[in-house]
Amino acid sequence: MSETLDTAEPKEGMTPESDQGNVQLAIEVNNLSRRFNGVHAVNGISFSIERGQVVGFVGANGAGKTTTMRILATLDYPSSGEARVGGINVIDYPADVRRLIGWMPDHYGTYRNMTVLEYLDFFARALGYKGQDRVDRIVEVMEFTDLTSLSDRLIDQLSKGMGQRLCLGRALLHDPEVLILDEPAAGLDPKARVELKHLIRILAKEGKTVFISSHILSELGEMCDSLLFINQGEIIHHGSAESLKQGSSVSTLIEVQLGEGPERLQEWADLAPHVSFLDSAKSGGRIEIDSTEDEIIATVLRRMITDGLSVTGFHREERKLEDAFIEILGEIENSGTPIVS
Amino acid sequence: MSDPSAAEPISIEGRVTDFSPRLSPMLVKELRQGMRTKLFSIAFILLHTFMIFCLLAALSNPGSNDSDGFFWFVIVSVLLFVQPLRGFNALSSEYQLNTMDLIQLTKLNGWRITLGKWTALNAQGMLFLSGVLPYLVIRYFLGNVNFVLDLVALGLIGLGSIFSTAITIGCSVFQNIILRGAIVVGMGIAFTVLFVVVTETILDRGGLGSDQWTAIGLLFIGCAYGCFFFLSFGASRIAPLSENHATRKRLVALLSASLCLGFLLIGADSSPVIITIALILGTACIDALTEPLPVFSRVLIPFSKNPLTRFLAFFLSPGWISGLGFFLICSLSYFGSLYFAGWIDTHDFLNKNEDVIAQLCGCNLFIFPLLIIHIFFPKHTSAHFTFAIYSGIQAGIGGITIMIAAIASAIGRWEDLIYSLIPMPSVLLVAYGETDIERPHYVILTVTTTLLCILVPLLRHRDSVKEFFLHLKPSI
Repeated sequence: MSETLDTAEPKEGMTPESDQGNVQLAIEVNNLSRRFNGVHAVNGISFSIERGQVVGFVGANGAGKTTTMRILATLDYPSSGEARVGGINVIDYPADVRRLIGWMPDHYGTYRNMTVLEYLDFFARALGYKGQDRVDRIVEVMEFTDLTSLSDRLIDQLSKGMGQRLCLGRALLHDPEVLILDEPAAGLDPKARVELKHLIRILAKEGKTVFISSHILSELGEMCDSLLFINQGEIIHHGSAESLKQGSSVSTLIEVQLGEGPERLQEWADLAPHVSFLDSAKSGGRIEIDSTEDEIIATVLRRMITDGLSVTGFHREERKLEDAFIEILGEIENSGTPIVS
Repeated sequence: MSDPSAAEPISIEGRVTDFSPRLSPMLVKELRQGMRTKLFSIAFILLHTFMIFCLLAALSNPGSNDSDGFFWFVIVSVLLFVQPLRGFNALSSEYQLNTMDLIQLTKLNGWRITLGKWTALNAQGMLFLSGVLPYLVIRYFLGNVNFVLDLVALGLIGLGSIFSTAITIGCSVFQNIILRGAIVVGMGIAFTVLFVVVTETILDRGGLGSDQWTAIGLLFIGCAYGCFFFLSFGASRIAPLSENHATRKRLVALLSASLCLGFLLIGADSSPVIITIALILGTACIDALTEPLPVFSRVLIPFSKNPLTRFLAFFLSPGWISGLGFFLICSLSYFGSLYFAGWIDTHDFLNKNEDVIAQLCGCNLFIFPLLIIHIFFPKHTSAHFTFAIYSGIQAGIGGITIMIAAIASAIGRWEDLIYSLIPMPSVLLVAYGETDIERPHYVILTVTTTLLCILVPLLRHRDSVKEFFLHLKPSI
């Protein structure tokens, strides 16, 4: 392990406070690498996450998501580079970092022969809670995760969704500032997924920083302030979901629904400036406007109505995040360089 | 009359305050879980059923010892086999259930985790033990029983249960069930032999003379150190590489060896004392030599304070690099003990200390596998792998040595075979008694092999050695 470790040396008398990086940042990663038997799981990645942000971490299986998250959670060590949580170095001050983070692994760990309440009580005790504080904290977490009615149920009798809520509750016991959630929605049914998303939204509103990985990009797009794409151990994109959806295109796709046939739309589009007809549908069709500016799009819509088209629906098509991800991967394959914004 | 079904459910507060907050969280968790397991309930019921059966047999034939064997067999089975085996999965199950990471993010360190598990199992073992006491008293009233010896035997079985539980919990860190099983069985056989020998020494002589007290004292120190060693072994293997468990482990080994040496001051027989010291220092050395390299930037901070702590880091800091230093210290301590026990004749050392010279060669047995590991597996990082491969190499060397000795003996050409495999300490050890190697040559060969075993791994990992020195530099 340490044969390849190349991290900053803490000096005598140094404390997490005196060795703090940028305290405005919840997570700061600089040139982080992790090698396993010569293979780069993570290869010199750098990124930062501001406090209070919800950031999605996206990548294929084996891209380096879990390795990065485990390093941030002080459960693994980088081969080189530096990672800080709340300005504190994760290698030199793991105990201080652990106070700041709530970790939820992809495969949540539970025990046999133990009830929900005993499980939370064990972790509350292990986190150092005593007396009434411990009871209050357990009650608070059970209420938040809606587990109160299940407090006496044995954990191995819980459904996957209930188990994930319990795991989230455990991660929240010490009221951490930063939540690191590795594939929390994996294997959940739609209802459980919605419940989990709801809880994460509440946590985000409370000002917690949430760093979350998932395969379900549409869900990440809805709840994240920004998205980090990782591929083969390298960050290939860091930006908002909106910017991703817009991508680098210079045109806008509009789906138009009419009270009349698509021929009328095609006739109009052939004459109108900035507009070209793409394809027809049962009641309308799709047009392309050669601009992404809202003002021009609004002008086109206004003109469509003033020109007498009976418009019943007007929908701007967005690129799906999955498409954006695939497109970025394609661009990398062509150019060979990551596109980190 | 109030309706019992209408009783108010116990509040959450009532349900989580059943155990004192002063108790270790791991102990509370293990007790809650452990007392619910079927194995505990079945063993508890069976123990009492068989005890009653034995009493009924004794009642039907008062004064007879016919049921004694079965009575003790049941107690030994439950306390020395069933109870320790419950710890067989103690640490590995935390990995299997994906809970080890979650625990490590709390305030529980590796030591508190293993200690909590061990205490919980022993607490349940004490339930078995205290449950047997009434039957012991009734047996006494039925006659023909030496109550004091029965109590001593029960105490020894209890001690054995505590010790063997520590073995299974410590070894449960290995996730490979075959390796875990092999180590537990090996330790179990060694411990059973030791236990039977000591028990016979104590019980068969009818009373407690000075030899028996020495045996009890050494057994107690050996068991106490053994428990500590196995628990620390497990703790250090599950702990993050930034935690330092090595210093405590190594200091306790040296302290335990010193305590044993104290028996020589009160005139005890030196052989059992030296054997106990050899066992303590030997196990500590194997552990130190198979420790993974730690996060130097973290664990060397306390050692970089002043020249004395920097010097101590060469023997007491975590990782096999300082483990080599610790091995040298242990070797010196061991031969110091031999000198103290009067086993070394300083006049004409080479010709008058055959046994000591053989033991000097025997020390090489500990570090030789390290040479093989770091030549053939220089990039390995797993602590589990190092220990497993170390055990495998030792077993392999043992096999090869037996084979070589058999062939050499059959063809009568010891020298040719011995010189071709001379770097192997075990072959050298066998050769000592069978060939005419000159004593000075023998010592030179031994020292050369030792240096080789130390230098090759250090050279193979020179970057890590540089890092070790870098982090030991005085802070600016």
